[in-house]
Amino acid sequence: MKLLLVEDSERLQRSLSTGLRKHGFTVDQAFDGEQALSYTATNQYDVIVLDLMLPRIDGLTVLSKIRSEGNDCHVLILSANDQTEDRVRGLDLGADDYLVKPFAFNELVSRLGALNRRRSGIKNPVIEIEGVKVDSVARQVVFDDQPVALTPHEYQLLEFLARRRGRVFSHDQLIDQLYDAGSYVTRNAVEAHISSLRKRLHLVGAPRLVKTRRGFGYLVE
Amino acid sequence: MYSIRNKLNFTIIASMIMVLSIAAVFLYVRVAGHVEKVFDDALYDKAQAMISLTELDEEGLEFDFAEDGVMLEFQEHQILQYYQLWENSVELLIKSPSLGETDLPRLGTEPGGHQFADMILPDGRAGRLIEINFMPRVEVEDDVEDPGYGAVIPPAEPITMVFARERETLDDTLFAIGSTIFGVIVIVLLLSGLLIWRLVGSGLSPLSYLAKQVSTIDESNLDARLNHEGDQTMEIAPIENQLNHLLERLQSAFEREKRFSANAAHELRTPLSELKTLAEVARMVPDDRQQVVSFFNDIGEISGQMEKMVATLLELSRSEAGLLRTDPENIELAQYCEEIWQHAINGEGAKKSLLTHIPEGLVIYTDREKLGMILSNLFINAVSYSPDNAEIEITAEIRNDNVVLEVKNASIDLKPEDILHMKDRFWRKQTIQGESGHSGLGLTLVEALAGVMKLDVNLRLDNQQTFMVTISGLSPSVH
Repeated sequence: MKLLLVEDSERLQRSLSTGLRKHGFTVDQAFDGEQALSYTATNQYDVIVLDLMLPRIDGLTVLSKIRSEGNDCHVLILSANDQTEDRVRGLDLGADDYLVKPFAFNELVSRLGALNRRRSGIKNPVIEIEGVKVDSVARQVVFDDQPVALTPHEYQLLEFLARRRGRVFSHDQLIDQLYDAGSYVTRNAVEAHISSLRKRLHLVGAPRLVKTRRGFGYLVE
Repeated sequence: MYSIRNKLNFTIIASMIMVLSIAAVFLYVRVAGHVEKVFDDALYDKAQAMISLTELDEEGLEFDFAEDGVMLEFQEHQILQYYQLWENSVELLIKSPSLGETDLPRLGTEPGGHQFADMILPDGRAGRLIEINFMPRVEVEDDVEDPGYGAVIPPAEPITMVFARERETLDDTLFAIGSTIFGVIVIVLLLSGLLIWRLVGSGLSPLSYLAKQVSTIDESNLDARLNHEGDQTMEIAPIENQLNHLLERLQSAFEREKRFSANAAHELRTPLSELKTLAEVARMVPDDRQQVVSFFNDIGEISGQMEKMVATLLELSRSEAGLLRTDPENIELAQYCEEIWQHAINGEGAKKSLLTHIPEGLVIYTDREKLGMILSNLFINAVSYSPDNAEIEITAEIRNDNVVLEVKNASIDLKPEDILHMKDRFWRKQTIQGESGHSGLGLTLVEALAGVMKLDVNLRLDNQQTFMVTISGLSPSVH
């Protein structure tokens, strides 16, 4: 799940992005409204975590601009403003959720997970395909009651494709979705993750879920 | 609580009842007196007519009015009027047949006089009498051929005559007059009451409209303004204007308070949020020593900022509560400014220089600690909000026996309208939020401390984007 974290506090950025990456999120960081708009213009995000009091362009303006540009990604407002009118204004402008600072980090992760499920149209946090269960809350993959040991990137790859069953994603699309904007990732790295994922599933006797469409990319059928 | 309308109505109507009652009583007394006088005059005239028909001649007293057919109203069957005459107030001379066996009362009138009185007539009706004391007219025979010519006439004695008649017609007239006056007064009062009720209501309608509008205003709609129906009234206009000004000030105060609360909440929630997230995420990476150490550094920074903000808020609170006192002493200004600058530049870690234009040896007499806090805040702001490598200038001049201190620096992205808000609590120019360490309380504290020290703080921005803070009112040394 790829998200854009728009927050002017560098310290909060540091801790949040560390924690979110630890939970398997792909995080891009923007420190002001201009930067946020620049990121959204060139990247596709599943969720944008948006502070309201931002330098240069405030959060509500950023929100209304990305909505007016037709960007339908989920937006979670993360703000110290706790007044009902602030929440109403944010939600009316097109935000999908509103979380008041200070917040519990786990709650933020859960809300992001819920937004992601809403986006994929699968409300059950556990996706089951041919006996392979992908638990998006525990961030665990189980086959035949045996846990499959996956790295965070492998898990992300599997959950991303499992949530979008039947859709083919190219190397570039997968890089875009699964890695930070600042990361330098090659096609080989993606292929290496796919190969490793297949091996780990094979080790527990799970079917080969991730298929290759030559010349197009990968998918989970 | 009473109603002005009711009170006005009650007061005006009560006053009208009182005035009209007095007028009615006065009118009745005057008219009744006049009618009674006319009645008494008629009694008197009748009595005088009877006196003129009383004469004394050689044959004695003659009462021509008592002759049959002369005055029928005294006949027995005509029981309307009565008379009775006495000689020397003692000897009954004659009385009307209508009296029968009864007598008329006596009042004891002096000779030549007359008086009136009410009485109950023998037939039981209310009546009125006149008693006249007179000397009979002496009839001397001057016709020599008359048999009585030259006869001796007995001496005339004073005669008392009482003439009485019923007063029903008088009473009926007085009753008619009284009831007419009363009726007119009641009708006038009723009509006036209705008219007063409507006129007072109409006159007070602008006030009622104003009261109705005011009663709908509470803290949720302080943006509402009072207006008026139709033409503005001279009495209501100043109230309406003053209330509208009051509402504006109230709205502004509420908004300021709300903004302050929101800002205070924001300024406290953001570092709390940072601390909470740092703690939670640090628990997730216990083995990443480098990361955990970096988080601890962040926690230290946040704690320092929060401590500074709480200290500033406490200082402001003490200043507002009037708990801050000044402890003036002599300060060598140039040297002290340099000390404060060095401290500020260390805190901010900036590489900017201070240009000092302070007369050598200038000593001022003021509170060292508070002046230090003021200068420190001004220097830190100047360093933070000026372009890289900018020079900060401090100037001191003596004007009108006072020392005027000015700190100026080139500003970044400051607008003239920002000057209006710079002393507001938590106000910050957005572009330098984040890790700047500024809570937006510096200039608020400067203003508060200056207030305690009885100094004026003036902020200006010139066309060249130079921001200037002028502090005036500092006293030169007492030596």
